[in-house]
Amino acid sequence: MQAAGSVVRRTLDRLYFGSGVIAALFLITILSLVVLQMLARWTGNVFPGAADYAGYCMAAASFFAFAHALNRGAHIRVSLILQFAGRFRRWIEIWCFGIGAALGWYMAYYAWKGAYWSWKLHDISQGQDATPLWIPQIAMVIGAILFAVALTDHLVNLIFTGEHRIDAEVVEDHE
Amino acid sequence: MEQLELIAIFLFILFLLLGTGVWVGLALLGVAFVGMELFTSRPVGDAMITTIWSASSSWTLTALPLFIWMGEILFRTRLSQDMFKGLTPWMAGLPGGLIHTNIVGCTVFAAVSGSSAATLTTVGKMSIPELRKRNYPEHMIIGTLAGAATLGLMIPPSLTLIVYGVTINESISKLFIAGVLPGLVLAGMFMSYVAVYSKISSKYNPDPEPKTGFFQKIANSRFLIPVICLIAVVIGSMYLGFATATEAAAFGVIGALVLAAGQRSLNWSTFTESLMGATRTSAMIALILAGAAFLSLAMGFTGLPRALAEWIAAMELSRFELLMALLVFYIILGCFLDGISSVVLTMAVVEPMIRQAGIDVIWFGIFIVVVVEMAQITPPIGFNLFVLQGMTRHEMSYIAKAAIPMFFIMVVMVFVLIFVPELATYLPENMNRQPGGG
Repeated sequence: MQAAGSVVRRTLDRLYFGSGVIAALFLITILSLVVLQMLARWTGNVFPGAADYAGYCMAAASFFAFAHALNRGAHIRVSLILQFAGRFRRWIEIWCFGIGAALGWYMAYYAWKGAYWSWKLHDISQGQDATPLWIPQIAMVIGAILFAVALTDHLVNLIFTGEHRIDAEVVEDHE
Repeated sequence: MEQLELIAIFLFILFLLLGTGVWVGLALLGVAFVGMELFTSRPVGDAMITTIWSASSSWTLTALPLFIWMGEILFRTRLSQDMFKGLTPWMAGLPGGLIHTNIVGCTVFAAVSGSSAATLTTVGKMSIPELRKRNYPEHMIIGTLAGAATLGLMIPPSLTLIVYGVTINESISKLFIAGVLPGLVLAGMFMSYVAVYSKISSKYNPDPEPKTGFFQKIANSRFLIPVICLIAVVIGSMYLGFATATEAAAFGVIGALVLAAGQRSLNWSTFTESLMGATRTSAMIALILAGAAFLSLAMGFTGLPRALAEWIAAMELSRFELLMALLVFYIILGCFLDGISSVVLTMAVVEPMIRQAGIDVIWFGIFIVVVVEMAQITPPIGFNLFVLQGMTRHEMSYIAKAAIPMFFIMVVMVFVLIFVPELATYLPENMNRQPGGG
């Protein structure tokens, strides 16, 4: 049981971190797209749809990183009450993660539904790129599901061990 | 009457979720969900995901991660040491001495970073111990640092201005250019305060600096020159219309990488750290923006923005009175929320108000930034105060007290902006048109 638990634990942690890395790769892709677009313009060419592709990468970079950012305490919150909550702190944390997990799953469900209908109805981007929209929306679906899983993961830990697993780093990382 | 009750429930949920510490982005989603359920019979989830998708896959938004990344790279270079060493010989001759390195250092770093916490740490890391060694009054070291670091929010690239521009659909480069002059004027006001204070205070007796010749000065600041060039390229390319904000950000990232490589502070670990740091910060802001986009859709159905705009119009406030009301409102809000959250949270309601009052939205962007800047140095949530507390181990109250003069200087700045609006509007009106829009 213990062993199975730690396998799940390690798999989840790798998933969160891995999706953070994927998000970072999308950030590099944005940079490359922007540079390519500029090079094309200077040489008198056009790179049709570059702006749309960069936009999809932006969405992918954000969604893939949501869970990872949560684990590192990067998402901001008003901590005024939490600081002075004392022994009620745990209950307030459970409330926060509970609300968070519920919203996370709600978003994940509709992200999936939205992408499914984009695919079903052959939704095509309005821009020059004419990409079928379900393809970039996959990133949103996966990212939203992982985010919901991460929020639930913290909630479960909080209920059973009394501690969530957010490791809030030094302030520098927190701007 | 029933409408009023619904609005009351809506606002109650908003304060409940934010106040209990639900992450800002998710709290906005939750409030918007409740609002949609209360005020419409439309399918909420589908409307939500359409809004979130178009808000998060926008081209304008791509400037955000790139500018964050640029700051993260430079943050991990030797810039902090170079800055102090390079500025010292130039500042030593001014009345007030090396305290000015705090202000000028912050101004320079603000021009490569969009965040005031990063500006504060980079400049303070070096200047706090060095200034202490030279017997400068402690409260001046702390106060000027807290105040000047807020320039990170105003001088381009500014994350708050990107978020503002994306929220109200205005050109980011215009907003950036609009921030340049007010940022410099504010820095100038901070510096004049230091100069005057050093003359009238009897406790202001720092150790004198050794005299340096002109060429010695140049030699000392040679490391700063590449940074200044980078700033010139990033801001200049936007002003002259060579590049959109995103493209200027791409120049910035590449320039920062070259600069870091030139200094030999670029290696695999600083590269990945800067990249992952940028990814996380940008995801954090993206979540807030996604929540805010859905919230402003929901707000539209509540009728709250229109009702408020009409109410304000019916009161026939003068422009000045309206701005004063907003000033007080944002200072109070800023006591509990960070700058970016207070901008996105309120824009759905405030935007129709200011448009109806005929206030220039670019100008208002700068106004709102100065006001949320103040919030960074007011307790209980002032973010710069926390960072400084971590760096100096002073009591929060001591730091807040040291920052009070800077707070009042910013209040003066608000009035300067109101009476001389050209400060913010002159440059953007005279910049070249951009390639490819946006």
